[in-house]
Amino acid sequence: MHRATDRRPRLRVAATVGAAFALLVAACAPPGAASPSQAPAGSAGTGSASAPAASEQTGSQGGTVKIGFISPTTGFVAALGTDMKRGWELYWEQHGTTVGGVTVETVFEDDAGDPEIALTKARRLVEDENVDLIAGPILANTAYAVAEYAADQGIPTLQITGADDLTQRQFDPHVLRVGYTSSQPLFPGGEWAYEQGYRTAVTLCPDYAFGWESCGGFVTGFTGAGGEVTKQIWHPLGTQDFSTYITEIQAESPDVVFVGSAGGPDAILLYQTFADFGLKDQIPLVGNCCFADQVFLRELGEDAAGIRSFMYWVEGRESETVQAFVSAYEEEHGEIPSLYAAGSYAMADVVARTLEETGGVIEGTDFITAARGLSLEDSVYGAITFDDTNNPVGPVYQTVVAEREDGTYWNVVEETFEDVSQFWTYGKEAFLEQPVFSRDFQSHE
Amino acid sequence: MKRFLRLGWILGAIGVAAAIAAPYVLPPFLVSILTLIFIAAILAASVNLLAGQTGLVSIGHAGIAAAASYGVAWASVHGLGVGPQLAIAAALVAAVSLVYGLTTMRTNGIVFLMITLALGMVTYGLALKLSTVTGGQNGLTNIARPEPVAAYWQFYFLTAAVLVTVLVAMQVIRQSPLGLTFRGVRDSESRMSSLGYSVATAKLVAILFSGLFAGVAGVLAVWNSEFISPAAATFARSAMLVVMVIVGGVGTALGPLVGASIVVGIEHWVSSYVDRWPTLLGFLFIAVVLFAPAGVVGAMQQLGQRWPSGGSRRRRPAVGVPNRDAG
Repeated sequence: MHRATDRRPRLRVAATVGAAFALLVAACAPPGAASPSQAPAGSAGTGSASAPAASEQTGSQGGTVKIGFISPTTGFVAALGTDMKRGWELYWEQHGTTVGGVTVETVFEDDAGDPEIALTKARRLVEDENVDLIAGPILANTAYAVAEYAADQGIPTLQITGADDLTQRQFDPHVLRVGYTSSQPLFPGGEWAYEQGYRTAVTLCPDYAFGWESCGGFVTGFTGAGGEVTKQIWHPLGTQDFSTYITEIQAESPDVVFVGSAGGPDAILLYQTFADFGLKDQIPLVGNCCFADQVFLRELGEDAAGIRSFMYWVEGRESETVQAFVSAYEEEHGEIPSLYAAGSYAMADVVARTLEETGGVIEGTDFITAARGLSLEDSVYGAITFDDTNNPVGPVYQTVVAEREDGTYWNVVEETFEDVSQFWTYGKEAFLEQPVFSRDFQSHE
Repeated sequence: MKRFLRLGWILGAIGVAAAIAAPYVLPPFLVSILTLIFIAAILAASVNLLAGQTGLVSIGHAGIAAAASYGVAWASVHGLGVGPQLAIAAALVAAVSLVYGLTTMRTNGIVFLMITLALGMVTYGLALKLSTVTGGQNGLTNIARPEPVAAYWQFYFLTAAVLVTVLVAMQVIRQSPLGLTFRGVRDSESRMSSLGYSVATAKLVAILFSGLFAGVAGVLAVWNSEFISPAAATFARSAMLVVMVIVGGVGTALGPLVGASIVVGIEHWVSSYVDRWPTLLGFLFIAVVLFAPAGVVGAMQQLGQRWPSGGSRRRRPAVGVPNRDAG
C-alpha cells in the first residue's frame, strides 16, 4: 500500500493531462457529429424560429406519420398513464389508423412521472424514432419539460395537462392543449355558487400549482360575482388525516365549501371525513374536475350520490360520442373511462381530424395552426373550438353524481355553460397582465 | 496488487479512449444517455465519498444537487451569464451543505440517515412551495446552456472532463491525510477522538466536500435538461443514488460510475423496451446485495486480487460466502 503512494503524482499528472485533453477535444467540433449539431439546441428563446429539420426529413414520406406517445405507465401515477394509453389505443381501434391518406403509427414511451426520464424519452422519440408529433405526458412538470424540448426541435406536441401557463404566459406555437386549464371549468363554478344564493365560501385545495389554480378559478368566479371567501385552506398532497381541515370548515360554517382535488386517495379520505363529521347534509360541497371522478365513485358508490362538481369530461353526459366511447371502453377494460382516457381519446380525435385537413402532413407549427382551426361539434368534451393560444374554448358542465341503470355511479349533467374560455370574461390581454395563480394570488380583479 | 494496478491503468486508458470516441461513433441519443450517466456518476461519487470514506450514508443528496440546479436555473431565467449562475449555485450549495453538515456532524448510522432524509424533504418542500422563485410544481423552463457547450456533443465532452476531474479529485482526497482521517472516523470514532482528532469537524469537512461535488453534478444536470422542477429533489432520486453506490460498490473509485451506468441505463434506456423495468431494477439490486455485497466493482476487485496470487491475499475472506448459502 505504501509503495503504491509513490506512483500517485504520476497518476495525478496523467489524469490531469487526460482531463485537459478532453476539454481541448471538446473545444473542436467532431466532424462526424457536425451534421446533427447544426441546429442550435440551446437557444434561449422558445425556439419558434429554429428550423424544423427532423420533421422536414420525415414528413409524410412513405404514407406513414409517426407519433410519440409519452405517459407514466410505471411509478406513482401509473394508473393515469395506463388510462391514457388505453384511451389513445381505443380511438385508433375504432376509427382505423389510416387517415388523410396516411397511416398513423404510435410509439409508446413510459416516463414514470419523472421529468428527467420524460425528457430522455422525448429525445429518443425525436432522434431515434424520428416522430412527427408528440402526445403527452400528463404531469405538469413532465409536460413543461417535454413541450420545451420538442418546441426547440420544431416538433409539435399535444397536451392534456392542466398546468395553466402552458397556454398562457409560456405559450409556444408548437403546443396545443386538448384539455382545459385547471382554473377554466371553475370560473363558472364560482359564479354559479353565488347564483345559488351562497354568499360565503371556504375553499380546500392541495398546496401546489394544480390546487392553487383550481381554487384560483373558483375564488375569481365567486368573488367576481359578489361572494366572499372567508377562508382558504391548503392541505399537503397525500394527506392521511383530514379531520383538522374539516374541523376548520365546520368552525367557519360557510354557505358553501369548494374542494379542488387532484383525485385519488386524498379525495376519498377527504370526503369520508367530511361525511363522518356530519357536514354532508349541513354544508353544500362543490368539487372540481377530478374530485368525484370514477376512482372516487368506485370506492364510495352510493355515499357519493348528490355531489355536485364542475367538469369538462362527464362520463354520463347524454351524447352519442360520449356514450359510444364509454360503452366501447367498458367492454374492453371493464370500467367507465376516466378523464385521462377521455383526454387521450380527444387528442387522437384532434390528430385524426387535423391530418384530414392537412392531407396527412405534420410539419411543425403548421400542424398546430391547422389543429387550432378545427371546430369540433361532437368531441368527448362537447362542441369546442380553440383560442389563439391553443387552448379549447368549450362547454363546462355542472354535474351531479347519480346512479346508472346497472347500479354503478357516475356524473350526469345538470347545467351547461357554453364557450368558456381559459381567460374567463376578462379577455386575453387583461388576464395575462395578472400573475399566474398561487397561494398568494387567488382572485383576478 | 501491482499487476492489478497495471490492469487498472489499461482499462482506464481504454475507458477514456472510448469516452472520447463515443460522440463520433454513437447516435446523438446514446450520447445524451452517456451524458446523463456521467452526471449521475458525479452525484453518486459524492454520496460514495461520504458512505465509503466516512461511513455516513446520506439519503438526501439529491437536495444539495437540486439547490445548485435551482441556483443556475434562476440566474439563467433572469438573464444572468455563466459567472453569476455559478456564483449563485455555489452560494446555495455552500449554504445547503453547511446546514446538512452542522445538523448531522455529531451523528452517525441511522440517525445520520434519517436527518439527511428529512433535510432532503425540506429542500423538496421549499422547491415546491416557494413558487414565485422556483416555479413550484411546474418548475422553471427557458434555461439556456452556456454558448460554448450548447451542442450536445460539446456538453458531453464537458461532462466527461468534469467526471474525470471529480474522480481524480476523489482519489487525491482518498490518498491524502484528510482521507485517512475520514476512514479513521469510519472505523472507530472513539479511537480517533482519543488520538486527538475532532470527529465532528472531520465529518463536517467530509460533508462539505461531498456537497461541493453534488453541487457540480447539479449544475451539469440543469444545463443538460435545461429544465428544473421539484422532482429533482425527491426522496426517490436520493434513494436511487444510494442504490447506484451500492450496486457499483461502496467505497470503490469506479463504483459510482458503474452503478450510475446500470441504474440510469435501466431507467432511461432499457425502459423503452421493457415494460416492467422497475422490477428488473429491483431484482438486480437484490442480486447484488445477495451475491456481490461489495458491489460490482468490489466483486471484480476481489476476483482480481485472488487471481494472480492464488487466493492467498484475500483481505476480506468471508464476505460473500455465507450469504451465498442463504440465497
